[in-house]
Amino acid sequence: MGNLASLGQSKAIAIYRTMVRIAECDQRIQQGLAAGDLQFQYYPAGGQEAIAATIASLLEADDLAVTTYRVVHDIVAKGTPIREIMAEMYGRATGTCKGKGGPMHLTAPNSGLMVTTGIVGAGTPIAAGLALAEQMQDTGRVTVCNFGDGAANIGAVHEALNIAALWSLPVVFVCQNNLYAEYTSFAESTASASIASRAEGYGMPGARCDGTDPVAIHEAAESAVARARSGKGPTLLECVAPRLQGHAFGSETAHMDQEALAEATQNAPLIVVRKRLLEEGLATEAELAQIEAEAAEEVDDAQKFATESPPPGIEELDADVFADKGDIPYASSPVARQGVEPSGEHRSITFGQAVNEAMAVALERDDSVFLLGEDLHDPAGGIVKQTAGLSTRFGLDRVRPTPISEQAIVGAAIGASMRGMKPVAEIMVNDFAMVAMDQIANHAAKLRYMSGGRTAVPITIRSLSAGNVGSFGAQHSQSLEAWFAHTPGLKVVAPSNAYDAKGLLLSCIDDPDPCIQIEAMRCFFVPGDVPDGYYTVPLGSAAIRQEGSDITLVSYSWGMQEVLAAAAQLEEQGVSVEAIDLRSIVPLDYATVRESVKKTGRALIVHPAVEFGGFGAELAARLQFDLFEDLRAPIARYGAPYTSIPFAQVLEAAYFPAASGVVERAQNLLKGGS
Amino acid sequence: MRVTLKMPKGAVSMQEGKIVEWLVEAGDAITKGQPIYAIESEKATIDIESPFTGVITPIAKVDETLPVGAPVATVET
Repeated sequence: MGNLASLGQSKAIAIYRTMVRIAECDQRIQQGLAAGDLQFQYYPAGGQEAIAATIASLLEADDLAVTTYRVVHDIVAKGTPIREIMAEMYGRATGTCKGKGGPMHLTAPNSGLMVTTGIVGAGTPIAAGLALAEQMQDTGRVTVCNFGDGAANIGAVHEALNIAALWSLPVVFVCQNNLYAEYTSFAESTASASIASRAEGYGMPGARCDGTDPVAIHEAAESAVARARSGKGPTLLECVAPRLQGHAFGSETAHMDQEALAEATQNAPLIVVRKRLLEEGLATEAELAQIEAEAAEEVDDAQKFATESPPPGIEELDADVFADKGDIPYASSPVARQGVEPSGEHRSITFGQAVNEAMAVALERDDSVFLLGEDLHDPAGGIVKQTAGLSTRFGLDRVRPTPISEQAIVGAAIGASMRGMKPVAEIMVNDFAMVAMDQIANHAAKLRYMSGGRTAVPITIRSLSAGNVGSFGAQHSQSLEAWFAHTPGLKVVAPSNAYDAKGLLLSCIDDPDPCIQIEAMRCFFVPGDVPDGYYTVPLGSAAIRQEGSDITLVSYSWGMQEVLAAAAQLEEQGVSVEAIDLRSIVPLDYATVRESVKKTGRALIVHPAVEFGGFGAELAARLQFDLFEDLRAPIARYGAPYTSIPFAQVLEAAYFPAASGVVERAQNLLKGGS
Repeated sequence: MRVTLKMPKGAVSMQEGKIVEWLVEAGDAITKGQPIYAIESEKATIDIESPFTGVITPIAKVDETLPVGAPVATVET
């Protein structure tokens, strides 16, 4: 062990002070748990104090950090007031997240702690995104991404490390190896003897150090932070610091090597660093006792502040789902938005060209907009030329091709969006979104809410849905809008024509919340009237494509093609059809649908997704409840059968809803059947 | 000051805990961090350490099963 004096006296003492503040906070939370005053699953930081305290001594106040649910050392070290941390533990309105995140989601952007995730490893792609935003805005800020040895074995970490090295991002990945992934030892989960040795495979430097020794940590982290700050790229640090207790408060330790645990407890970093400060004459007993007393007082005060603070008001329940409560489906006062009217020349271009034009307009008018996704750059310009010409015009920095790494694509977009950028991420085909569902559903959708509105994720995800264009099969053809719509916090947009595709996408890009625009391949090559230049179609405004009085047909995306074809046939038979294109599912323009069905007394909801559990079920249930006495027939749905999507064309044709089926079902409703 | 110690939530799934052993007696002087009783929850048997220094008066009896949050002891600090 090197001398603490090598760090300089004031830094050595500052590190000890941070370690003591961490330990005091950590122990006070555990006392609250032992006394039964606090009741939650808590992951103590005992043994890892020196890692956070030493790395913090190398950072500026406005550098960024991401961490995981074993969090208290990282957040105290990053400089978040202990009052706010304790208040969050008690679920109070004065907590870091207004009591809405709790101990696993502490978020304090004022002190740079941007994300605490409860999902192992999931913070790494987001950290890459934070670093990307700082790199693109040339701020010189460094992002520190903390994760455990358990997280080192999950896929998101692999994607994040690769993309961070590829793009030379200013991030330091800190694997805090406490030798146990929950109840499983490091040796039982990892064949390699070290995590840091993986760095070479990613094309970045790696270093393994004793995570209980501030001198060793400082040596490894100093060059990593300097490398990131000077634009040379990421480093993978592995700081080994044995865990000094079970996985969580109250959990047993039978899985731990008892001899090693006893030894590590005796040599706890708090004890050893204190002893070294005294031995090296860097501080007197009285000085250290004063630091300890001050930390105890600070935590006393924080605990008092927490217990005397009020809990969040009940109005907080549905605040921070979206920037505006009115975007919640069925909100009593939905947001009425006006789009920006077009002023450009009208031309006939395809849906795909309209999407390309929307991105070009957004890139042109706003420097914070950038695109990322697979194969987006020229000469390919996207698998269906959706981004053709854009990388040539705007450069590879802003039209950014990515590896085939859906978690990294979405995670990087999330992180960048939290730091002033407006990323438009492409998930090539809808079905691949499932690979990134943790980033989409657990992070993009929830970060605003979990942070009590302290952070926001204004990303746009575009995704093709390749259903019913001829034999793409079961994994390239699905319509997943119901999955997305079932996740509070996501806006789900499904244009049916070229004009809407451009106008809705421009709304998504400027929206303060995460939006997913599903672009149907069936619509992609269909021309339509599209004005040049900037205009928007507001989210949450359905379009009545055709007015009528006998029956309401509701759909979106390519389902509208079948609905409009069916409507023409029904009109020929003397049926007056009202056809509604929802355009967005969340926010939902329910009022337009309700008024229509109240008038016609009949409704058929059509969508290409599986009928069972599909979005039509939600809408049908609500309409039936609200309009029971006005209905002349039961509300009906028409979706795909409960099977995977078949390959053979004869089967695919039988699988997807079609105009003929819409006509048949509408006729049944008009006869009074279902 | 008299503080009440309540049945802790010792594990994520824990709804109630059974007192399996008192490690101290009524009137004992205890110190913060000292194991004072053992509970058996759905997951394991664990020792609960005293969050305070003071003189303890146990309330719960051995073999008694209590819901999380129920009083277990008082401590005169």
